[in-house]
Amino acid sequence: MLAVLTKRERDWVERVIKEEEIEKYMDNGRDFIDDEEIWNRIKSNTKPEKKRIRDIIQKSMEIKTLEPDETASLLNLEDPELWEEVFQAAKEIKKKVYDNRIVTFAPLYCGDLCVNNCLYCGFRRENAVIKRRKLTLEEIRKEAEVLAGEIGHKRLIVVYGEHPSTNAGYIADTIRTIYDVKVKTKNGYGQIRRVNVNIAPMSVDDLRLLRDVGIGTYQVFQETYHHGTYKRLHPEGTLKSHYQWRLYCHHRALEAGVDDVAIGALFGLYDWRFDVMGLLYHARDLERHFGIGPHTISFPRLEPAANTPFIQATNYRVSDEDFKKIIAVIRLSVPYTGMILTARESASIRREVLPIGITQTDASTKIGIGAYSDRYTEQEEDRQQFLLGDTRSLDEVIRELAQMGYITSFCTAGYRCGRTGDRIMSLLRTGREAVFCKLNAVLTFKEWLDDFASPETKAAGEQILKKEVEEIKDKLPQNVYEKLLEYYRRIEDGERDLYF
Amino acid sequence: MEKETSTSELIERFNLVADNIRQEYNAHLWLIEVFGKRHSYIAGCRDDSFLPPEVIYINNRFAVVSSDWDKVPREKKEEVFSLVKEYCNRVF
Repeated sequence: MLAVLTKRERDWVERVIKEEEIEKYMDNGRDFIDDEEIWNRIKSNTKPEKKRIRDIIQKSMEIKTLEPDETASLLNLEDPELWEEVFQAAKEIKKKVYDNRIVTFAPLYCGDLCVNNCLYCGFRRENAVIKRRKLTLEEIRKEAEVLAGEIGHKRLIVVYGEHPSTNAGYIADTIRTIYDVKVKTKNGYGQIRRVNVNIAPMSVDDLRLLRDVGIGTYQVFQETYHHGTYKRLHPEGTLKSHYQWRLYCHHRALEAGVDDVAIGALFGLYDWRFDVMGLLYHARDLERHFGIGPHTISFPRLEPAANTPFIQATNYRVSDEDFKKIIAVIRLSVPYTGMILTARESASIRREVLPIGITQTDASTKIGIGAYSDRYTEQEEDRQQFLLGDTRSLDEVIRELAQMGYITSFCTAGYRCGRTGDRIMSLLRTGREAVFCKLNAVLTFKEWLDDFASPETKAAGEQILKKEVEEIKDKLPQNVYEKLLEYYRRIEDGERDLYF
Repeated sequence: MEKETSTSELIERFNLVADNIRQEYNAHLWLIEVFGKRHSYIAGCRDDSFLPPEVIYINNRFAVVSSDWDKVPREKKEEVFSLVKEYCNRVF
């Protein structure tokens, strides 16, 4: 039986959507996703010639956003040798834009109350097996203390259901609480320096409230861009059933002055080729209106969730082979963007796809409400939105990344010194941001190794650091190298949060 | 009392100041709007040297950032702050 909304919930739901904040971005009442046009482009770009694919690769290497027909050509590739060229190009583009650093973060789920009833979601309101609650501010503080003081994270993505109890005011309070946490560590102190949010679409006024408390990135996934499928999966009358309210929420965020926005699709709901095209159209529309594309793109695959049979029944499950193609095509289509691979995926898949364009990943991940301070070791279905594929500790993941030749970065410098919006876009497109990435990766990784690493991880990490510092000495101006060495020594002496 | 000005006028005026400083001293300045930890870029140079940025607050809402302050003579720096402060304080 459908769980009925209370009067308070109904009253709140009726006030959320502001039609006038959507219509202004639409063209003659139409949004920028034309299902028929997307399918026509996919169908009219079959059997692309080798030369065309190589021209497209070349364009991506110049960090230019692809045209829809170009992305459609990549999606239609069949030749395994050409796919290898695409994977190689994805790897090179990532290196050019972000160097060999991988940024890490942790999700923090603050509540699982939700007025929506999405068929694929463990937190849907009809799902009676989920234990419902939101964290108090004191509980949030405890979670942040574990994350910053025991694990060593500096960057979070905080997650909330869509509910009047976890409205914009509550979200703003939780973010202030997290930013206030400062914990003594072995050699310095730990703090969360960037709080990104994964929340429901909001009005411009609510987004301004979040901007004013200093959120990092505003992340919302469209789930699927296909109108018909979206309608089927999000029951009519629920807040989330309004496709355009969701589609234009990043436009509203940019209008409100939050100039880092993140998009994504949940793969497994519809044909993956269509949703890759949807992501491209989304990035292009943001660029068209604001000159700013998505700060990051996410591409989670459906994972099992408690009492959610839709997940087993879907006809659109994405194979590992296709998942790899999704990542490479997104990397080439929107070459400047950050790309997030999460612990939804197993360790082996993460290992395999990381080299083809990933820039951010999570570790020591717990997604149960209050799970970090509870210190639970087994996943608990009845308080998680879905089940994780990789529960390894940050220490283990960092050691593996170091063995693979990657430096783990805890950098949060950009949004604290104006490398945001169209300025960061310009730095990304010209490859200059990669220099900041490298310098700040060295400093923040050094902090983490000194404060949190096991002896094995510290040894692996120090080797990577040595190599990175040598590279900086060879490639960057002498004064930059000298400044880096000065900061490095100051971090060894216990100073924290020094950045370029 | 001075007439109030819009953010777009502030951007235009700051861009002129930043261009002038870049041409004269090869120093890159940019203007940011402060929202807690978030310091959002709003005007000025998009490029910079790779040295640590120094944020100088104009008021509660705006700050000027540069990695090249040492290239700008002290008197010129003060002139810039005074001018930008005047622009910023007039934004409604």
